[in-house]
Amino acid sequence: MLNDLLIAFQAVATIENFLIMAAGIWGGVIIGAIPGMTGTMAVTLALPFTFYMQPIPSILLLVALYKGSTYGGSVSAILIKTPGTASAACTTLDGYPLARQGKAGKALNMALYSSCTGDFISNISLIFIAAPLALLALRIGPPEYFMLMVFALTTVSGVSGRSLILGLVSACLGLLLATVGEDMYGSFRFDLTMDMRGGLAVAPVLIGLFAIPELLKIVVFRNTETQKAMQLGDNRVTREEFRRSLKSMLKGSMIGVIMGAIPGIGPSAAAFSSYGEAQRSSRNGENFGKGEVEGIAASESANNGCCGSTMIPLLALGVPGDVITGVMLGAFMIHGMTPGPMLFETNLHEVYMLFIGMLFSSVLLFGAGKATMRFFSHISRIPPGLMAPIVLVLCLFGIFSISNSMYDVIVLLAMGVFGFFMFLFAIPAAPFLIAFILGPMLEENLRRALAISRGDPSILVSSPITWLFASLAVFVIVITIRQQLKKAKA
Amino acid sequence: MGITRGVIVTMLFGLVLFVLIPIYVPRPNFIPGFAPPPDMWPRAVSILGMLLGLLLLGLSLSKKTEAIADPEAASEIRGDTPLGKLMARFGLAVLAFTLFVVAVELLGFLLACILLLAAVLVLTGYWHHKWISLSVAVGLPLLLHLFFSSALNTRFPAGTLLKALGF
Repeated sequence: MLNDLLIAFQAVATIENFLIMAAGIWGGVIIGAIPGMTGTMAVTLALPFTFYMQPIPSILLLVALYKGSTYGGSVSAILIKTPGTASAACTTLDGYPLARQGKAGKALNMALYSSCTGDFISNISLIFIAAPLALLALRIGPPEYFMLMVFALTTVSGVSGRSLILGLVSACLGLLLATVGEDMYGSFRFDLTMDMRGGLAVAPVLIGLFAIPELLKIVVFRNTETQKAMQLGDNRVTREEFRRSLKSMLKGSMIGVIMGAIPGIGPSAAAFSSYGEAQRSSRNGENFGKGEVEGIAASESANNGCCGSTMIPLLALGVPGDVITGVMLGAFMIHGMTPGPMLFETNLHEVYMLFIGMLFSSVLLFGAGKATMRFFSHISRIPPGLMAPIVLVLCLFGIFSISNSMYDVIVLLAMGVFGFFMFLFAIPAAPFLIAFILGPMLEENLRRALAISRGDPSILVSSPITWLFASLAVFVIVITIRQQLKKAKA
Repeated sequence: MGITRGVIVTMLFGLVLFVLIPIYVPRPNFIPGFAPPPDMWPRAVSILGMLLGLLLLGLSLSKKTEAIADPEAASEIRGDTPLGKLMARFGLAVLAFTLFVVAVELLGFLLACILLLAAVLVLTGYWHHKWISLSVAVGLPLLLHLFFSSALNTRFPAGTLLKALGF
C-alpha cells in the first residue's frame, strides 16, 4: 500500500494539479463566505467544467471546492452571524461573540487551524479505515438511524441554549416545519399554498433564521454598542489557547470522521455533537456561547472532519452521503469510474491519487485561509448599521438565484421574523435548524422501522447499536438537567 | 415573561394539533402494508411540543422552579426603551418587508431591492451618512444584479408596472 501511495504522490505532485486545487480552494472559500451561496452550488456549477478535464484533476477540483466552501461558511458565521453553510451554524455560537469583542482575527485563526486539523485527520482516516468503517455503516438500519438522530437532537437541544426545555421546544418547532410538503408516500401536508407542496428549502430557512433577526435587532433595539465598528484588535491564537483547545479539536475531528461516514447525517449534526461534548467535558464549559475559542475548535474540526469521511461510503459502497457527494458520484461516472467495492480493484491507482490529492488540499486550505484572513477580518470593521442591510440584500439575491422563485425569498423574510420572535422568547435557533435538516430523515426512518416491525415500537430498542444511542441520549439529558438544576440553585 | 412564553408555546402547538392537522394533513383512504399514516409524526411532535409548553408554564408558576425555564431573557434584552416604541420599529421593518414583496411584482427585483435597502438603512439609523448610504443602496443591488444575471444566468422579475410603462 505504501508503495502505491508513493507512486500516487509522484503522479499528483504536478504544477497543473496544484493550480487546480488552489483554484478550487480559493473559489470554495469565497463562495462559502457569501450568504446564500453554498458548497453544493459551487460543486454543481463547477461540474460542467470538469467534462473537459482528466478524471483525477476534475475530482480534486470538486473536493477542493467542497473543502474550501466548508471553511468559507465559517467566515461569514464569525463576522456577520450569517453561516454561509448549514454546517457553520454552530460556529456562530462562539465566533460571533468573539468578533463582537474585537477578536475576529482570533476566531478566524482558530476556525482555520481546527478546519485544517479536522480535514487532515479525516483524510488520513479515509486512507486507512475506509473499508472497515463502510462495512459498519452498512449495518445501520432504520431503527439505528432514528436513534442516532434522536441522540444528535438531544445533544443540540441541551447545549445551545440556557434551558434544555427551550432547546427541545425549538427542536419540536423545527421538526414540525420539516413536515411541510410531500411525505415519503406522496401525501401532501400543510399545503396552505401550492408552493408549499414542494416543502421549505434549507437555505432560506437557515439564512432567515440566523441573518435576518440580527438586522431586526439593530432596527428594533438601536443598541449603541452594536452601532460601533469593531476593531481588529486581538488576532492571534495564543499557545495556551491552542493547547487548551487541542483535546476538543482532536475529539471533534473523530466525531466528524464517524458521523461523516454515516450517509445522510452530515457535518451540521457532527458540529453540534462535537460542540456539546466539548462543552460537557471542558473546564471552560461555562464560557461556551460567550466567545470561547474552544467552542470554535470543536465545531470547525467536526464539520471539516466530515469532508474526507463523507467519501468513505461513496468510494467503498457507492452510496453518496449527501448532495455534494451525490454530485461527485456523477463526476466519477462521467469519467468512466463507478464508485463501490470494485473501484478498489479496477481503479486503485486513481483512488490513491485522490487520497494524496486530498491530503495536499488540506495544506492548500491552510495557505488560502491565511491569505484571505486579513481581507475578511476587515469586514468586521463595517458598522452593523450598514453591514446588516448589506447582508439582507446579499441574502435576497443569493436566495432568489438558487430557485428563481419569490417563494423562497418570502420564506427567507418570514423565517427572519419568526427567528426574531424566537430570540425575544429566548428560544435557541440551533436546535430548530438541526431538527429541520434531520427531520425528514428522522420521520422516514421511524416510519420505515414501524412498517418493518408491523407497528411494534420495540424495534427501536432491538439492537445493541440502538441501545447505545438511546443510552447516550438519556445520559446527555440527565447531565444537562443536573447542570441546569445546579445553576438554578446558585 | 415565563408564563406568557409557556402559554404561547402551548397554544401554538395546540393550534397545529387541533386545527391545522385535521384540515391540512388528510389521511389517505388506502395506506400500503403497515406504514404509519402521514399525520402520525406531526401529531406526535405537536403533542410533545404542547407538553413542553405546559411544563414551561408549570415551572414558571413557582418561584423555586422558574429559574429552570429561564424567564429573565427578554427583559434583559429589552432594556429601558418603552415597549410601544420597540413595537413601532418592529412594525415598520415588517411593513418594509411586505412592501418589498409587493414591489417586486410591480417594479421588478432590482428597483425593489434598492428601495428596501434605502428603507432599512433609514430604519437602522445609518442614513445620516447620506452619501455612503445612497451609493450603497443604489450601487450594491446594481452590482449583484449584474453578477447574478451574467455569471449564473439568473432571470430576475422585471416588474409588471415597468413593463406596462415600456421599460
